Amino acid sequence: MIRLSQLTKTYGSGSLAVPVLRGIDLEIGDGEFVAIMGPSGSGKSTLMNIIGFLDKQTGGTYSLNGEDVKQANEKQLAGLRNKHIGFVFQQFFLLPRLNAQKNVETPLLYAGISKKERTARALGLLNKVGLKDRTGHLPSELSGGQKQRVAIARALVNQPTVILADEPTGALDSKTGAQIMDLLTELNREGKTVIIVTHEEEIAAYTDRIIVLRDGLIVEDRKVTS
Amino acid sequence: MNLWESFTLALSSIWNHKIRSILTMLGIIIGVSAVIIVVAIGDGARQQMADDLFSTDENAIPLYFEQTTYEENGEMMWVEPPAVTGEQLDAVKEVAGVKYVLGTNSGWGTMNHNEHTADMEIIGVDNQYFIAKDLTLLEGRRLNTRDNDSYSRVAMIDSLTRENMFAPDEEAVGAIIDINDNPYKVVGVYESTLPPEFRHMEEFSNGQMLMPRTLISMMFGSPEIDTINVIAEQPDNLTETGFAAAEKLTELTGSEEGMYVAEDMSAYVEEFDSFYMTITLFISSIAGISLLVGGIGVMNIMLVSVTERTREIGLRKALGATRGQILRQFLIESVTLTSLGGLIGIGFAALVTAVLALVLPFSPIINPVVVIIGILFSSMIGIVFGILPANKASKLSPIDALRYE
Repeated sequence: MIRLSQLTKTYGSGSLAVPVLRGIDLEIGDGEFVAIMGPSGSGKSTLMNIIGFLDKQTGGTYSLNGEDVKQANEKQLAGLRNKHIGFVFQQFFLLPRLNAQKNVETPLLYAGISKKERTARALGLLNKVGLKDRTGHLPSELSGGQKQRVAIARALVNQPTVILADEPTGALDSKTGAQIMDLLTELNREGKTVIIVTHEEEIAAYTDRIIVLRDGLIVEDRKVTS
Repeated sequence: MNLWESFTLALSSIWNHKIRSILTMLGIIIGVSAVIIVVAIGDGARQQMADDLFSTDENAIPLYFEQTTYEENGEMMWVEPPAVTGEQLDAVKEVAGVKYVLGTNSGWGTMNHNEHTADMEIIGVDNQYFIAKDLTLLEGRRLNTRDNDSYSRVAMIDSLTRENMFAPDEEAVGAIIDINDNPYKVVGVYESTLPPEFRHMEEFSNGQMLMPRTLISMMFGSPEIDTINVIAEQPDNLTETGFAAAEKLTELTGSEEGMYVAEDMSAYVEEFDSFYMTITLFISSIAGISLLVGGIGVMNIMLVSVTERTREIGLRKALGATRGQILRQFLIESVTLTSLGGLIGIGFAALVTAVLALVLPFSPIINPVVVIIGILFSSMIGIVFGILPANKASKLSPIDALRYE
């Protein structure tokens, strides 16, 4: 359960202060499938960074599963990212010299999981995303869609609370993009909370709830009726 | 992520940039190998020198007469060493720690035999000499007390003389040889103890000869004993034993114008050591500069690596890597790089010393302490010069790092 109240984020200070988020009140329950939309400069990326513990808010509160995370220091933020957040990026961000399996294992390395269990979990998830035969391939030997599947497997490997996907189909053709969205939808059906940041209506349409940001404020929060 | 995983990650990163890594390590390789090679050469030379000084008799020390008065009535004075007798030497033998006291004299004679002619050193000895020097008798008999007492015109030849001056099937024992145109009888043949480097010299190429020292004294008009060597029971106490024996001999001879002293061989070694220490320090400081420059090179390349891998660092942070974990990863990478350089340097040094052993007249000896210091030092360089880049990497903000193009 994610709860944001009167969350603000300001870059710089004094006369140079640029407010990016100006008081966000938002609740995302477990198992929701949410799209955050908005034009560039609306603050949606900043919001995602704060939800993903990559950045800290200037004001207001952020609680995850009832716990206020305002006091967390940098090390604790790293731990929260590792434990609760599974990132999926537009540019995949796979480590180029590690094969698919090793890429998926990376978050487990930082969680201090034993090698045996790392291997088992990584192989299991690669199987789940349909890359059973590609576990030993380097990212350069995979197609865009396959790379994003590896990234999704990596996002899932630490059994996070939330999957945060930033324009997950932005670098893919529409057919492959649709397959990735199907995969994310399936994960949501299995109970995962999935938050997607996108500016494409078509992508947002896969989700159950659309939140629209403009100038640092939520201007729309609606259920998607299919 | 445990240490071993960080280490394998570091190795794969180094392996992926082979040429760059080798070039970066070069300063470390040169520095470490230079120190090891120089110290190995020095230790080898020192060992060789010690062997040369002590080789003939590891536990023998010569006594010589040193005059204490140089002037008489304003004029320079030369003090003759007192005549030393066999009885006096027997008394010196009683000094604690002394095993044997060898009184010898020597002369050079021209030997003629079978139409061979050779100039040869003849050592005048007593009956103890053979046992004290641990010589090996090959044919015939040793010289005995009677030979000395009766001025017997007998000689023992060594294996080199036997080989060069006698036919292989010729009976050497009992043969009459000519020395300075006088006949002497060969009574025994012993294994030559001349060091190999002496055998190449013309004057020693035909070996040496042993005769009763009384006979030598008569032949050459020299004192019966002009060279005194003390053999100690314990080689470790050689110098002390030598000085004690010298003191006793001075007392026995009762000379007022001079005294016997022991020649302190270790002084030569010490002198060499201090000379060699200077060279070692000099080379080590040059090697130190090489290591310093190497370290700066490592720092430079690590900074480049951090910049190149900004996105990787950002991603790793997003996946949950803490600042400490990133710091450790880069630090281990730089330590691995420099330690590897140190190891290659050691390997290179081993190779060079092996080649030098073939070329030099002595074998360089690799000092394990220097090798260990080399490894520790190169690892330390990795830490010192890796801190800055590793710290820079750990401080990158994940958002900025992920956005980095």
